Amino acid sequence: MRIALIVVGLALGGYGAVLVWENPPVIIMRIVVWALVGVVLHDLVFAPVCAALGFAGRRLIPGRWWPPIAVAAFCSVVLVFLAIPVYDKPGLRPDNMTVLDRNYPLGLWVSLGIVWACVPLYYLAARLLPVRQNEVVEQQSTDHVERQPPAQ
Amino acid sequence: MLGNLYDSAGQPGGDMTTTRLRGTAVTARVGLALGIAIAVCFVTGLISHFIQHPQPWFFWPTRPIWLYRVTQGLHVISGIAAIPLIIVKLWSVWPKLFERPIIGGLVRQIERLSILVLIGSMLFQLSTGLLNIAQWYAFKFFFTTSHYAMSYVAAGAVLVHIGVKLPIIRRALGDPVDDTPVFVGPTRRTVLRGTWLAVALATVVTAGQTIPLLRKVSVLAPRSGEGPQEVPVNRSAIAAGVLRSARSPDYRLTVANGSTTRAFTVADLAAMPQATHRLPIACVEGWSANAEWTGVVLANLVAAVGGARDSDVRMISLEPPGPYSRTVLPARHARDAKTLIALKLNGQTLDIDHGYPCRLIAPTRPGVLQTKWLTHIEVVP
Repeated sequence: MRIALIVVGLALGGYGAVLVWENPPVIIMRIVVWALVGVVLHDLVFAPVCAALGFAGRRLIPGRWWPPIAVAAFCSVVLVFLAIPVYDKPGLRPDNMTVLDRNYPLGLWVSLGIVWACVPLYYLAARLLPVRQNEVVEQQSTDHVERQPPAQ
Repeated sequence: MLGNLYDSAGQPGGDMTTTRLRGTAVTARVGLALGIAIAVCFVTGLISHFIQHPQPWFFWPTRPIWLYRVTQGLHVISGIAAIPLIIVKLWSVWPKLFERPIIGGLVRQIERLSILVLIGSMLFQLSTGLLNIAQWYAFKFFFTTSHYAMSYVAAGAVLVHIGVKLPIIRRALGDPVDDTPVFVGPTRRTVLRGTWLAVALATVVTAGQTIPLLRKVSVLAPRSGEGPQEVPVNRSAIAAGVLRSARSPDYRLTVANGSTTRAFTVADLAAMPQATHRLPIACVEGWSANAEWTGVVLANLVAAVGGARDSDVRMISLEPPGPYSRTVLPARHARDAKTLIALKLNGQTLDIDHGYPCRLIAPTRPGVLQTKWLTHIEVVP
């Protein structure tokens, strides 16, 4: 099974490499550079910034607030990524007004507003709803059965 | 380590929020979802490719009429869904980048190289696809050929990755998500729920360009769905350079089968028996719209010049020669009773941006092959 996956994977990837190779050298370079820039931007810019924000956030934000804020922050990142190609309509052409025909700044800010409005709502719901005992149990594996519960 | 966390979880003054959120339990589950999204994206992308570059072995039916609308809609939806998934997937394994030995032996270097190819090709596919649906050609290479070529690289790299990691994936999927109880703060379950929530959010804010129900809330979709005669346009008459020729009084649609040729004026076409069908127009860029098309059944025009029912039919536009100014319609679609040479759209004379005087509209075909501003129709011998 594993061997088959790897062999088929290598064959597919090899075919893709051949297709890329059919381009002129300058185009191959542009394709490779585009792919590598993506990796470098993620590994050395995006990920460290997220790690730093996460590190700071976990120390500055009270524990109960942290889960909804982290999720809201992640949703915001996704919204911003999706907004990049449309926000100020870099692909707009004057002959066709049916592409990029929304108010994207408004759309982005409203959606961000809704995402962050959910944070206090979630916090309140989590405080007001009874403690979900089954969730605590759900998170336990068989290892926990014989152990002492945490001292309170 | 995990035991320590367990013990400290409830201790007064202990770090109650500390928990190992990263872990193979998260990586494998998000990876599984990402794998499904990539598989859908790859297969639907190949379908679209082979419709546009037909192969003898490739069969593409004419029913259900919305088939291409669904496959290409899914292509873009699954690609966008992959964006939050790949962010979490990379987050969950990022510390491995700094694991020692950084360089290591040959096997380690090969493993790192394969991961580099995997991530590079995936980010390439997602970024170029996202830019393409917004028609932002920031990259200086041809989108379709490079996106197609890199799709094999990405799919191959994913298969190799699954093959290498299969035992770990199997074990991780069997393990509980959280191996330590957490009383305050996020758990791995929080991470997973947040991920699914972000996937849903990314879908809702973009998928309205193909799912009418979501149209109002898809605030980041490149198309609102508005356009002349309630249908968006991909290539305008100005861009195609047909403003003058399409409105010329000398305009004729010629239909040819070998030496048999007939020429039709717009009035001739309008005088022929008209058929009206609701057919979707579905663009390769992932937007689609249902519309009511009225015109002459193509099979009747082909019959008027004695064309055989099993012949392919070539469609030639007034647009000067270019990649999409002529297309070949397979016989299966050419003889279909719902394939029209449309003169009207939603009850009105076709807008010039929709292909006035007449255009092809056939079921289950990409919009780019629904040739506009038709001038010649040839039965392929």
